[in-house]
Amino acid sequence: MDIIMPKMGESVNEGTIIKWHKKVGDVVKLDEIIFEISTDKVDTEIPAASAGVLSEILVKEGDTVEVGTVVARIKNSGAENSEIVISKKSSTEKSSQEIQKQISPSGRNDNNLTSNSESSKQNVQGNLIEIAMPKMGESVMEGTIIKWNKKVGDAVKKDEMIFEISTDKVDTEIPSPEAGTLVEILVGEQETVEVGTIVAKLSVGNQVKVQEGNNEENKKEDVHEIKSMHDNFSKPVELHSNEKGIGGGFFSPLVLSIAQKENVSFDELNSIKGTGLEGRVSKKDILTYIERRKTAGVQVQVKVQEKSEERKSISSAITQQVYNAADVEKIPMDNIRQRIMDHMVHSRDTSVHVTGLIEVDMTRIHNFINSKKDEIMKSENAKITYMAFIADAVVKSLKKYPLVNSSIDGNAILQKKFINLGIAVAIEPTGLIVPNIKGAGDKNVIGLAKAIADIANRARTKKLTPDDISNGTFTITNYGVFGTIFGTPIINQPEVAILGVGAAQKKPVVIEVDGSDTIAIRNIMALTLSHDHRLVDGMLGGMFLKNIKEVLENFEGII
Amino acid sequence: MPNKYQIAILGGGPGGYVAAIRAAQLGFKTVVIDKENLGGICLNWGCIPTKSLLKNVEIFDTIKNHGKEFGIYTKELSFNFTEIIQRSRGISDKITKNVELLIKKNKIDRIRGFGKLISQNEIEILDNDGKKTETMSADNIIIATGARPKTFPNIPVDRKSIITSTEAMNLAEQPKELIIIGAGAIGIEFAYFYSVLGTKVTLIEMLDHILPVEDAEVSQTLEKNFKKRGIEIYTKTMVEKAEVKGNKVSVTINQNGEKKTLSADKVLSAIGVTGNVEGFGLEELGVELFKNHIKVDKKTYQTNIPNIYAIGDVIGPPWLAHVASAEGIHCVEGIKGIKNPDVDYDNIPGCTYCQPQVASVGLTEAKAKELGYELKIGKFPFMASGKAFAVGEREGFVKLIFDAKYGELLGGHIIGSEATELIAEVSLARAMEATGHSIIKTVHAHPTLSESIMEAAANAYGEAIHI
Ligand SMILES: Cc1cc2nc3c(=O)[nH]c(=O)nc-3n(C[C@H](O)[C@H](O)[C@H](O)COP(=O)(O)OP(=O)(O)OC[C@H]3O[C@@H](n4cnc5c(N)ncnc54)[C@H](O)[C@@H]3O)c2cc1C
Repeated sequence: MDIIMPKMGESVNEGTIIKWHKKVGDVVKLDEIIFEISTDKVDTEIPAASAGVLSEILVKEGDTVEVGTVVARIKNSGAENSEIVISKKSSTEKSSQEIQKQISPSGRNDNNLTSNSESSKQNVQGNLIEIAMPKMGESVMEGTIIKWNKKVGDAVKKDEMIFEISTDKVDTEIPSPEAGTLVEILVGEQETVEVGTIVAKLSVGNQVKVQEGNNEENKKEDVHEIKSMHDNFSKPVELHSNEKGIGGGFFSPLVLSIAQKENVSFDELNSIKGTGLEGRVSKKDILTYIERRKTAGVQVQVKVQEKSEERKSISSAITQQVYNAADVEKIPMDNIRQRIMDHMVHSRDTSVHVTGLIEVDMTRIHNFINSKKDEIMKSENAKITYMAFIADAVVKSLKKYPLVNSSIDGNAILQKKFINLGIAVAIEPTGLIVPNIKGAGDKNVIGLAKAIADIANRARTKKLTPDDISNGTFTITNYGVFGTIFGTPIINQPEVAILGVGAAQKKPVVIEVDGSDTIAIRNIMALTLSHDHRLVDGMLGGMFLKNIKEVLENFEGII
Repeated sequence: MPNKYQIAILGGGPGGYVAAIRAAQLGFKTVVIDKENLGGICLNWGCIPTKSLLKNVEIFDTIKNHGKEFGIYTKELSFNFTEIIQRSRGISDKITKNVELLIKKNKIDRIRGFGKLISQNEIEILDNDGKKTETMSADNIIIATGARPKTFPNIPVDRKSIITSTEAMNLAEQPKELIIIGAGAIGIEFAYFYSVLGTKVTLIEMLDHILPVEDAEVSQTLEKNFKKRGIEIYTKTMVEKAEVKGNKVSVTINQNGEKKTLSADKVLSAIGVTGNVEGFGLEELGVELFKNHIKVDKKTYQTNIPNIYAIGDVIGPPWLAHVASAEGIHCVEGIKGIKNPDVDYDNIPGCTYCQPQVASVGLTEAKAKELGYELKIGKFPFMASGKAFAVGEREGFVKLIFDAKYGELLGGHIIGSEATELIAEVSLARAMEATGHSIIKTVHAHPTLSESIMEAAANAYGEAIHI
């Protein structure tokens, strides 16, 4: 509907717009003041002649136009409009799908619709429609929500997938019956409810516009409009408190005070699952969160945590589908497990892992160790092992190829001038930790042997300090001790490569002795290097591996 | 065909009847069974009749002891004990009838009789003679049979000379001397009631203070007031035995090893309650008990038999009507599948309706210290309140206890006029996790006693205006 510059008196032919009280996208009620004008006779405020959303302003403040000029347009969306649309839908599209039948619009629309009687009785105001757990088969009485693809406040197109469910017959995605805005989620992920239970509420006010919105800008306006429509038509408080997600939005003074004292950011607050009334974050919730954050260590960022939470729910969804709950024991993860989980996923999501393999002839070192280990034990009080030699070879190679001893910071490379060599240590019963040898670049084989024994020992007796596990630059993991011949290790972030050590085995190999090929029995060990392809390409990785091989095979027998 | 229900509730006290109404609201086919008038102890022999009695003596107290202050004189001030009792009984009668109407209005079946569980899903109804009148079945059974005064062999209750609260509120004649054993809320209310009427009252309490669960400062203030009224108080005192001797009862007490014998017309035993768990089938069904009460999961109120629930006094402390009701509602909503936060047992107000009234919620100062909190305490005496001055109720104070670190309102303690009404603000503040400044910055009407809560909070932060 067009709004024109009104004629304010017989002889008045033009007017100046002094002020717009509304901006594009605002909801306008009938008779609400939308702008002020000044004419040579009188200054006055102009009320809206119809309700709707201000869709266009054609004359800006300070401009003078002739009486009768269109100064703005109001789009008559809103309750009446959406009502019509809904009614049309349901009468023309007597839907064949089960789901559609479950959708039960309520309030003023009741009369127009054949709806599921139970749920439509629930008093929902205005142009909200309720979405029920659909019946996915004759004998299916309940369903589990696996995942919400939309969150509260999101705009939803018709037929867009809004959530995924799992029933004992089938897993499927559920499309939205209408375009609108998701205003309430009543059943959370992993919750199982009976068929017919209302799981969400959708506001279908303004749906026409949402559908029309083709470009980005339009879409943004639409969302804005839908929210402000709600302020006027339905329960504003509820929408408000839901804007930041289920149960989010309202934080009690005490929770805010705790957050401030304990440096809990607003993002973190929003990520905490509330158990209080209406899903609010309570004192207990935030204190539990702080406790967990403490034990989870500073390095685990909120983002990662959220991710792992998401993943947990997905993985448990999978277990639910595959196993009968009675046949499975549910064991809560301890902290170290959770940390490993977070770190591994974080690493896999961060680095582009590629793995190369090289075989190393360890015979010389093997023989050296066998003949010299007791003597060195006596003289140096150090137990020399393969690992000490490998560490030594790694240190030498890192010095030659320092890019492998780096990390990535945004678009920059942080090339470390020090080598803190991480050694992965398995701890009983099922843990893993990577302490690192500080200043490994300054140590010889014996120094490295002692340092490896020291950190491994302290890792197993839980005597590591936070210092021991921070600032590593490269990691070695020795799965060979379990007999594994080769593996593809995951990089210890933020490093860019990790060396996997396989088990050395006696193997018949073809070697060249005095120009002719012979078969000999040698101690052969596979080394694998997983490197982050973002920084370390195949050539560098290969040269690095080859250098390690050469250092080890050409060992001169002097340390 | 026996009647079949979705929810059958055994006991129609504030636990049972409230649960029944909530169940009906949620669409359950519900029955409530009680052998007496609905309303339980609370409406028949507890909260309501005692509060009626107390009002009579408050008026008498004011006119008699403060008439001059208000310029009110009476030539001859007297009371009629029987009429005082009758008023209380009449109120109890009417209010329980209202509950019966409420039950009817909600289309809940009401069965008068003694209910006995004969299986996990069946209840048999017996009449006064123990004859079976009907049997019904139910998907879910909620036990709300309440509790009764605890008795000890050395204090043999005969309901004539050695009595319980039930007799104490329905005596034919006012006793000249009354010994009350136990200075909890019930003992304290009767002590106030009878002492105002001129009975010589003696209070005996085993623990350090009267109202021993209240903040020590509050208990001490009340103790001083009671002593001024002429109530004799023995704390840290054990009753060794009570014996009826003719028209009198003699009570042997032991205070720190010192023995003494007291004597009075009547002895009121007010030393706690014990759950009604016997004689209606619990043993036979194997419902698990704990210290004479039914053991439940306080999230769902389920007993060890999943479709049998229990709420109210029968599941143990705190034995309070509002707790019974809250549990009943939560239990029924749980059966319906509605998820609400559990009843917060750390935020239950406790009230004693003597004058000055005592009300509290949350931690006492001593308890908060014991838990290791660093405290910020704010106090505001009613002496400094304009409203208290105007209405002539200047005794007592508001005391609020905050955690110094996060500002949590850990507890609130009020002694004084209308304390039991005022405490609701503190409960709500705690439930909403308000901090001191949420209270300070909420504008309170003037002149009201509730301003004292705002001032007490302000006092904790050095911002009080009137002290
Ligand atoms: C003197 C006194 C004053 C009190 N003042 C207060 C107060 O001011 N504020 C407060 O909060 N609390 C007060 N209380 C406590 C309060 O009365 C109880 O906490 C409350 O009544 C408990 O409610 P309930 O529903 O659990 O049990 P009850 O009120 O005890 O109700 C149990 C009902 O079950 C019935 N019943 C039991 N067994 C059977 C059976 N087998 N078949 C059929 N019916 C059965 C009984 O007849 C009874 O009606 C007071 C108590 C007393 C004694």
